[in-house]
Amino acid sequence: MHTRELAALWRGRSLAWLLARRDLATRHAAAAGGIAWAYIQPMLVVAAYYLLFDVVFSMRVGDAGGRGKPAGQFLIVGALAWMAFSDALSRGMNSLLEAGSLLQKNALPAVLFPARAVLASGIVYLPLFVVVACIYAGTHGLPVAVTAVVPLLLMQLVLSFILGYLLAILAAALRDTVQIVTFFLSVGIFLSPVLFPLSMFPEAWRWVLWLNPMTPLVVGYQAILLDAQWPPLLCWVVPLAWIGAAAAMVDLVLARCSEQLVDWL
Amino acid sequence: MNVTDRAPSPPDTVAPASAVLAVRGLGKEYRLYDTPRQRLKALFASGTHHRSHWALSDVSFELHRGQCMGLIGDNGAGKSSLLKLIAGTMQPTTGQVQRIGRVTAILELGAGFHPDFSGRDNLRFSAHLTGLDPEEIARLEPEIIEFSELGAAIDRPVKTYSSGMVVRLAFALVTAKQPDVLIIDEALAVGDQHFQKKCVERITAFRQNGCTILFCSHSQYHVRQLCDVALWLDAGRMRAHGSTDSVLAAYEAHVRAQDAASASAPSPGPEQAVAASPPPVLAGQRGRITRLAIDHLGPGTPPLLESRDLVVTVEAIVEGGETPHIAVMLEQSHGVGVTSVATHADGARPQAVGPDLWRSVCTFPDLPLHSGEYVVSAYLFDSKALVVYDQWYQHQHFRFHFPTLTPGLVRLPHHWS
Repeated sequence: MHTRELAALWRGRSLAWLLARRDLATRHAAAAGGIAWAYIQPMLVVAAYYLLFDVVFSMRVGDAGGRGKPAGQFLIVGALAWMAFSDALSRGMNSLLEAGSLLQKNALPAVLFPARAVLASGIVYLPLFVVVACIYAGTHGLPVAVTAVVPLLLMQLVLSFILGYLLAILAAALRDTVQIVTFFLSVGIFLSPVLFPLSMFPEAWRWVLWLNPMTPLVVGYQAILLDAQWPPLLCWVVPLAWIGAAAAMVDLVLARCSEQLVDWL
Repeated sequence: MNVTDRAPSPPDTVAPASAVLAVRGLGKEYRLYDTPRQRLKALFASGTHHRSHWALSDVSFELHRGQCMGLIGDNGAGKSSLLKLIAGTMQPTTGQVQRIGRVTAILELGAGFHPDFSGRDNLRFSAHLTGLDPEEIARLEPEIIEFSELGAAIDRPVKTYSSGMVVRLAFALVTAKQPDVLIIDEALAVGDQHFQKKCVERITAFRQNGCTILFCSHSQYHVRQLCDVALWLDAGRMRAHGSTDSVLAAYEAHVRAQDAASASAPSPGPEQAVAASPPPVLAGQRGRITRLAIDHLGPGTPPLLESRDLVVTVEAIVEGGETPHIAVMLEQSHGVGVTSVATHADGARPQAVGPDLWRSVCTFPDLPLHSGEYVVSAYLFDSKALVVYDQWYQHQHFRFHFPTLTPGLVRLPHHWS
């Protein structure tokens, strides 16, 4: 990404943080439960996975013969990461369209708004993921590998932000982007190792899963939290490549439209 | 093509004539795409996929500390685009904007407020957006609330506010800190008469303190009253730039020519009828005209003036012990102006004739007009002649008869030699 964008983001960091908190408060302004609802919904999904698959059915995934991972625990790791990604990406994608009137009346850098959306999503999912990671790490006797969760989460945050910014610009240019991405987010969970281990997917088609930017991160989280192991190299390289490619794309489209971006909103 | 901001120099090092706002070769192109798909294509493929509409081309000017520039022009001339480019909410296609110090724009008041949050909450959040830091916000908050006159309502959700309350809060907020450059887009009509007077007073106080003002208005009266220089934009280009009087005179001639061109139409539209630009009027009842009368009117429709003198009496009620100003405008019956006179322009004052009741009698001795039908309008202003409390526009028609052999409108003083 262009240094000008990064400088604007840095200068406006406190405003981006304020906008993010305001975004959350706005979403739940009329609800008695307020911001708690933002946390309750993913927590209920996590609880449902655990109760249904681990308590009621005692299902296991992975190795045959009942020696695999408890299905609920397996699902929670991937699903929570996916929900965070999906939430951040869709909010990031809509961030500029939603901020249109604000941007047309205030001299604010556009980059603050995808940052706001991703931060607002992070405020909800980051603490939840950290709590889940701590519980999982506790069951493994707090292995050192658990520290790798921090850079992986950071990569997910940066990836969500840059992809969100790119999609926000594309959505400003062509509203169909929102429909297309929403569809991919709803089927993307099936094209990632969230619902099943990577090893269960037909080997000849496994590369399709690696096209999903969340696959390396989910594989990484699973390695750390389920197996107490350091994530394999691909889990670092692929997200970094995605971040680099998305940043280059953001640069490209901004070079062509930054002057008119606000006019399109 | 960029917008650059610089911090203001300390006051003692600033030369009085230093440019606070410099605009050079400014242009704004709107790219029009036939389909959204072409817009997407433009993002990734080279080549031209659009038609161009230049809302603004090659606009250059400088404004110095304490100057006030009026921006005039027809609808669609590019005035709002220019203000947005200077305010920084829009990016220029060509040219440069250099701004020194804090720039505040009064563009659309209260548009960013969230209805579910209280006025106080919206105040704090919006203050951040205008670039105030938390300490300044905390310091200015009581003053903003006091100026907005919201009182206890400041802690109620904004959705319970009237539209007037919203703009009061927004105006108090954006003008809480004196800027170096103030951009005003037709914002003098804010709230009721009482609050509008406060707004005008605050803006004039800013100006007296050295704030540079860029003021866009359709009210030629206000431009004339407030601005040192004026810029007339026509179809996105600078048509005239210079002293307010010369630019307004050129613009008025243009408006008259437009009116003449459309005179053949069966009924001129309401915008054209107002194009002679009587000042905008406020709602509310702080002051109102109660009588406009012409002496010596005889029978007929319209009545015939049976005197060589035109004597116009205007009476008005103004609350609060304020001495108002009164203006009278004389036009031909079909709306072409002859002259206008005002107590503030002539150094006169209306007479108090009762509690809160004021009267001005304006006499045009030996009315130097040719025969014809004429109409008189009256305006009531506040004590500073900036806020228009009331107007009786084209209220009293009359006929005037002056036998002469030669045609014309006015009988100018002249001699033969």
